[in-house]
Amino acid sequence: MSSPTASALDSRNWIEEKFFLGMSFWDYLRSLATPGNFVAGLIMAVGIPLIVYRFAAGLGATTNLSQTNPWGIWIGFDMLSGVALAAGGYTIATSVYIFGLKEYHPIVRPAVLTGFLGYLFAVLGLTADLGRPWNLPVPLFFSWGGPSVMFEIAWCVVLYLTVLGMEFLPPVFEWLEWPRARRIAVNMTIGLTVAGVMLSTLHQSSLGGLFLMAPTKLHPLWYSPFIPAYFFISSIAAGLSMVIVESALSHRAFQSRADHTVNVDTLAIGLARGASVVLFCYFFVKVQGIADSGRWSLLNTGYGYWFLVEMLGFILLPSLLFAYGARHRKTALVRWTAAWVVLGIIVNRLNVSVIAMNWNVPDRYIPSFTEVMVSITLVTIGISTFRWIVNRMPVLQELPEYREH
Amino acid sequence: MIPHDILTLYSAKMLEYGIAILFLVLFIPFWRYVQSSAVAPEPATARVRVPAPATDWFALPMDRLFHRGHAWLKDEADGNVTIGLSDFAARLVGPLSRISLPAVGSTVGQGEMAWRLVADDGRTVDMLSPVDGTIVDINPVVAASAATAESDPYGRGWLLKVRPSRLRANRISLLSGQAARRWMDEVLVGLRGQLAPSLGSLAQDGGAPLHGMARAIDPEHWDELAGAMLLTGKEERHA
Repeated sequence: MSSPTASALDSRNWIEEKFFLGMSFWDYLRSLATPGNFVAGLIMAVGIPLIVYRFAAGLGATTNLSQTNPWGIWIGFDMLSGVALAAGGYTIATSVYIFGLKEYHPIVRPAVLTGFLGYLFAVLGLTADLGRPWNLPVPLFFSWGGPSVMFEIAWCVVLYLTVLGMEFLPPVFEWLEWPRARRIAVNMTIGLTVAGVMLSTLHQSSLGGLFLMAPTKLHPLWYSPFIPAYFFISSIAAGLSMVIVESALSHRAFQSRADHTVNVDTLAIGLARGASVVLFCYFFVKVQGIADSGRWSLLNTGYGYWFLVEMLGFILLPSLLFAYGARHRKTALVRWTAAWVVLGIIVNRLNVSVIAMNWNVPDRYIPSFTEVMVSITLVTIGISTFRWIVNRMPVLQELPEYREH
Repeated sequence: MIPHDILTLYSAKMLEYGIAILFLVLFIPFWRYVQSSAVAPEPATARVRVPAPATDWFALPMDRLFHRGHAWLKDEADGNVTIGLSDFAARLVGPLSRISLPAVGSTVGQGEMAWRLVADDGRTVDMLSPVDGTIVDINPVVAASAATAESDPYGRGWLLKVRPSRLRANRISLLSGQAARRWMDEVLVGLRGQLAPSLGSLAQDGGAPLHGMARAIDPEHWDELAGAMLLTGKEERHA
C-alpha cells in the first residue's frame, strides 16, 4: 500500500501528465508564451468581458438588433453557419460506420470533435442571442410546442450535441486510461451514428424550415419551399469541405500528434469527389427552385447579381474545381477549394438570415462591434479548445494498444 | 382557376422537367469525370497487416523507445537519454561515409532536424530528434566513422547523449514494444505498397532487405525517398 506522501506525488504526476503535458505547472505556463496564444489571449481579453456585458446590459445595449431585424450574425454566423460547418461529424461517421468506407476511419475522431465543438459554440452563440436565455429549458421540458419548427430544432440540437459528446467518449477514456469504460463507449458507436444521422437530417433541414415562415421578408430568390432541402444538401458539402480544411490544418499544426501512416492527401481527394457531386446536385436543385418560383426576371437586379455570385461562384465553380482537383490529384487546389466552400456556406447562411432578409424595408441591419467581437471570441475559444484536446487526447492518431478493437 | 394560371403552371412544369433532364444528362459525364483519375491512385492508409514477419528484417530492441522518424531513445541511470538511428534507417540510407552530429551543448527538439546522414555518394538525408533537450555528449567513434552506427546501431553505434527537458511529454509521441513492431509493419507495407517490384522480390526470396534499400528501389531519387521515410523530406516538412 502506498503512503499518503507517495499517493500525493502520484496524483501530482498524474495531473502534470494529463493536463500539463508532463511539465510542472510553471513550465507549462511558460510553454504557453507563443505568438498564437498571445493573439488568442488578446481576443479573449476583449471578447469575454463583452460577453459578460451583453448578459448584464441586455441585447438592446449591445447589439444593433431591432423588432424589424431580430436575427443578426449570432444567428446567421454562429448558429446557422456553425451548425452547417459542424456537419462533418455525421457525414464522416456515417460514411465509415454505416457505408463501410473504412479508409476514412482515421479522420472520424477529428471530424466528430469539430462537430461537437461546432455545435457547442453554436449553442453558446444562440444563448447570447436569446433575449431571455434562462427560458431555454421551457421548450425542452415545460411547454412543448409540437407544431413549431423551433421545438424540433431545440430538441434535435440538444440531443445531437449529446450524441456527439458520447461519440467522442472513446478517445476521452483512452486519455484517462479507463479501458472498461472505453469498451462500453465503443460498443455504442453504431447506435450513436444512426441517431446522429437521423437527428442531423431533421435539424439541418429544420434550420432552413425556419424561413418558410418568412415568405414576405426573405428575398424571393432565396426564399423557396425547398429551403429545408437546400440547407440539408449544402450541410453535407459544408461538412466534407470543413473536414478537408480541418485535416490539412491539423496535420500541419500537430505534426507530432499525427499518424504519419495516414495519407491525408488521398483522403482529401476522396472527400473532394463527394463534395463535388453534392455541390453539382445542389446547384441544379437551386436552379429548379428558381424555375418553380418563376422569378427569373429578378436575376437582373442588384440582389440577382449577388445571388448569381453565390450560385456560380460559391456552388458551381467549387464543384468543378473539386472535380478537376480530384481527377488530377491536385491536393492544394482541393484544399483551397474546400476553404472557398466553407466561405460560401457562411455567405449563403448570412444571405438567407441577414443580407436578403428584410431586403425591402429601409431599416437595414449592420452588426455592432460587440456582436462581431463576441462571434470572433467564440470561434477563438472553439479553436483553442480543439487545440487543448488534440494536444492531450488521441484524436489524430489511434493509440497502438487500442487499434483493431 | 383561370385559364391564364393553368398555362403559367404548365410552362413552369415544362421548364422544371427540362432542368431535371438536363441535370441527368450532365450528371452522367460529370460523375464519370469525377470518379476517374488522371494519375495513378495512392493507398489511403497502410493499415493492412503484413503476412510475413516484417519486423524480423530489422532489429527493434524491446528496451528502446522509437520516434516515427526512425530514431531511438534509451533511458540512462543518470537521468540522461541515449539516442541513435534505427536499424531500418541505417539499412535504408547506407552505406554511409559519415554522420554529421550537432555540437555538445546545443539543444535539440522532438520532431526537429538533429543530425545528417552523409551517404558514400555524397547525398545527404536529415534525421529528427526523438526528444527535447541539451546534448551532453556525442559518440566519438561514430563522429570519426559512421561504420559502427551501421553495423551496431543499438549498441556501440549510439549517436548522442541528451539531458531531456520534457521527457514525459515527449514520451507520448514515442513507440515501444508491440506498438513499435506494428508501426514498423506499417512502414514496410507502405514501402512495399509503393515499390512492390523491387522490395517484393526481396521478401519472396526470404532474405532480408539489402543495405542501401533506398538506392536499390529508386537509384535516381533515393535521397528523396529516404527523406520521406524518415519524415524529413521536402513534402513532410511542408505537410
